[in-house]
Amino acid sequence: MDVAAVTAQLCRAATFNLLSTMRQFAPFAAVLVIALACDRGERAASAAGDSASPGGTIVISTGGDPDVLFPPLLESVAAQQVTDLVYDHLANIGSSMNTVGDAGFEPQLARSWTWSPDSLSIAFHLDPRAKWHDGLPVRASDVAFTYALYKDSATASPSAPLIASIDSVTTPDSLTAVFWYSGRSPMQFFEATNPMLIIPEHALEGIRGQELRTAPLARAPIGSGRFRFVGWNAGSSIEITADTANYRGRPRADRIIWSIAPDFNTAFTRLLGGESDVFEQLTAASLPQIAGHAEIRTVLLPGLDYNFIQFNLRDPAHPARPHPLFGDRALRRALTMAVDRAHIVQNVYDTLAQVAVGPTVRAYPSTDTTLQQIPYSLAGARRLLDSLGWRNSGDGIRRRNGRPLEFTVSVPSSSKARMSMAVIVQDQLKQAGVKMNIDKLEIASFIDRETHHSFDAVFGGWHVDASPGGIRQTWGSAGSHTAGSNYGSYENPVFDAAVESALSEMNLDERRARFKKAYQMIIDDAPAIWLAEPRSMIAISGRIRTPSLRPDAWWANIPEWWVPPAERIARDRLGSSR
Amino acid sequence: MAGYLFRRFAQAVVVVALVATIAFFLIHLAPGDPFAAAVANPNVSEAVRAHWREAYGLDRPVPEQFMRYIASVARGDLGWSFSLQRPVLDVLADALPHTLLLMSIALAASFALGILLAIAQVMKRGSATDRIIGGISLLFFSMPEFWLALMVVVLLAYRFPVFPIGGMVDPVTHGSLGPVSRLVDVARHTVLPALTLTLLYSAVVARYQRAALLDVLPSEYITTARAKGVPERRVIRRHALRNALLPVITLFGLAFPALLTGAVYVEKVFSWPGMGLVIVNSIDTRDYPLLMAAMIIGSALVAAGSLVADLMYLAFDPRLRDED
Repeated sequence: MDVAAVTAQLCRAATFNLLSTMRQFAPFAAVLVIALACDRGERAASAAGDSASPGGTIVISTGGDPDVLFPPLLESVAAQQVTDLVYDHLANIGSSMNTVGDAGFEPQLARSWTWSPDSLSIAFHLDPRAKWHDGLPVRASDVAFTYALYKDSATASPSAPLIASIDSVTTPDSLTAVFWYSGRSPMQFFEATNPMLIIPEHALEGIRGQELRTAPLARAPIGSGRFRFVGWNAGSSIEITADTANYRGRPRADRIIWSIAPDFNTAFTRLLGGESDVFEQLTAASLPQIAGHAEIRTVLLPGLDYNFIQFNLRDPAHPARPHPLFGDRALRRALTMAVDRAHIVQNVYDTLAQVAVGPTVRAYPSTDTTLQQIPYSLAGARRLLDSLGWRNSGDGIRRRNGRPLEFTVSVPSSSKARMSMAVIVQDQLKQAGVKMNIDKLEIASFIDRETHHSFDAVFGGWHVDASPGGIRQTWGSAGSHTAGSNYGSYENPVFDAAVESALSEMNLDERRARFKKAYQMIIDDAPAIWLAEPRSMIAISGRIRTPSLRPDAWWANIPEWWVPPAERIARDRLGSSR
Repeated sequence: MAGYLFRRFAQAVVVVALVATIAFFLIHLAPGDPFAAAVANPNVSEAVRAHWREAYGLDRPVPEQFMRYIASVARGDLGWSFSLQRPVLDVLADALPHTLLLMSIALAASFALGILLAIAQVMKRGSATDRIIGGISLLFFSMPEFWLALMVVVLLAYRFPVFPIGGMVDPVTHGSLGPVSRLVDVARHTVLPALTLTLLYSAVVARYQRAALLDVLPSEYITTARAKGVPERRVIRRHALRNALLPVITLFGLAFPALLTGAVYVEKVFSWPGMGLVIVNSIDTRDYPLLMAAMIIGSALVAAGSLVADLMYLAFDPRLRDED
């Protein structure tokens, strides 16, 4: 399924939801209809080929400073946005978000590539025209250097595990970099291209380990991308400008500026007041205000997030033992059955989210959305709890052997959506005779509790990357140890094997079928109640023309964004005169 | 005087050292991890996290970390900010001047306006003017800081776009402006946050100052001045105000640390890149070195504010000089 199909499906689903809830949510529905209509109109205009001359200044509202502008070390999304535009990959994942083989990948620094007959190496042939922004040519030695830097334990790159399958990189000539692998896997090409942005060796001569963080390049990047770095005014803004002589062609916009606004209301007011052009944190509550501004359009993207209530399957006090409640699979299924997920998602997100299908997102080509869910049935949940010996004791709370059916869910206070959902879940479980307490925690304390496995249940959420392989860490046995990310300690060797089998499959249909088997297994085991899969909604000034946006990185195609001459405002003209 | 100053300075050093020590251990006792974002990223391996902890010395016992930190501070090195990936000194060098600019304007305007309002109230005490000013002061006094800031933005930057919505400069045009235009740009961006803080603080000052003036007015020397035919305006300005300033000087001493630690909500709403935001972010991210530096600066300023207030007492009240 390509992204157009995904978007079309989303549009159809949104329209269906809108129609079915029109009476209750007429104002929201009207706004969203306008939003979608505007987006369709915009795409139609783009498709018609509004062949304008390059130009325009695009101001993106962002919540905070990047951590560092050095690709091997960065973690924040703001840093990723800037570096993705200043640096180049060898090849970039396409809008289909395929991670298997090299299908759909678009050339960047590598003009072409050749697989060895045994598929144990890939030779990337660099574009001889590629130059660093300081004028020096990009060479294969830069690629080998980049690989060594990411892999070096002294660098401690968060991306290092993503390139673990690459044995070495050799450079038979100055324009060829060969990646060598110890074994074949469907992700070989993805691992060679996606995790690494190529860095200039000459800018880091003699700098290693901790010194990398203090290197000038860490705050003033020199890349080969279609935009070059101009400046970073801490706490205020970051600016990049068109590299007019870039080997891949001049970007269509002149300048991109990230304007830092930590407060949501201020950032939103800036958008409404025309001080910024792009705002990516829209909520359902902000839609009615957007509706009053015809000059702003909204773009709905399939999300890469899902959230859930995760049960701790181990006793927090005695981790060797099963949890006194959640060690019981049937009880977990009963609790899941008592929660009306569709109602919760509708109430909290309106149409800005879908009910989660499991520990995955619909944007993955490998996700089969026909997975059988544990159905909502209050009566069924009550019957199941009765059969498990949890009987109503007169005060509305079920008991077994004198022990009340009561637990606490930890919720991060920073997430309003999760807080709202927790309150509704609490009410729904109460109707089934289950007492759920809500423990609201500030984010650092929440994460501390998660990582120490000291909870009954947590209201968690994952943002997934372009590859579904992260499930090994988040739900597989490999992530269940103390330092892993499978905080609920769900362990099922059959599930692990099914995931490995799916990840090693090259054929997309078969891969999807194998993932379906794995997902179905974990859904049936109910180590969590998968609740919502929020969509991303981005507001963009109507004067900016954009091609379709990539779900995992809406900024990836910014070099193709532009402002038609007739719609340029003062800041656009200022950009072209500089 | 020199002895007095030395004693006060020594007291201040002890206070700052105590605060820093207590703060260090409390911060490390709080749940959470400076690498929380990394912890929440399933791609980051335990080996990488262990490497980071080792690199920053977080794998050592807390008392040892404390001794190393003290040694580092003694060398003039405030450490490395985990969250901003910069030396703490660089972070402070960026943020402190911004906050100093905003807060000095706001505090100066607040005290000037507050004292003037109090004088106007006292000169027409019991009148409609007195009640109106008092009511308005009470209104601003009771307003939440962030709400007032948002209302100011909505009114003066969005509905009537007279001033920019936020930031300290215009990120689009500032780089291309000449020196004078740059100053004007900064001034335009400073108006709304400074106005918000002035409205809030001047209400407090006005209420303190009015009460202090009313306390002083029944004094015998005021009655004497009036009996000698001194005009009421002169009585209040020359005779009453000077003695009624002491409580407001106390207030100034208390407000003094805000000069450098900022006003968190106002900085957030106006996207003002100052110390307030730095401190809040350092708490959220458990950025120990940055938070410690902010604590040290904050406690040093409390001590300095107290010293400045004492010196101002001496300047304004000759009786205290005699006692000293």
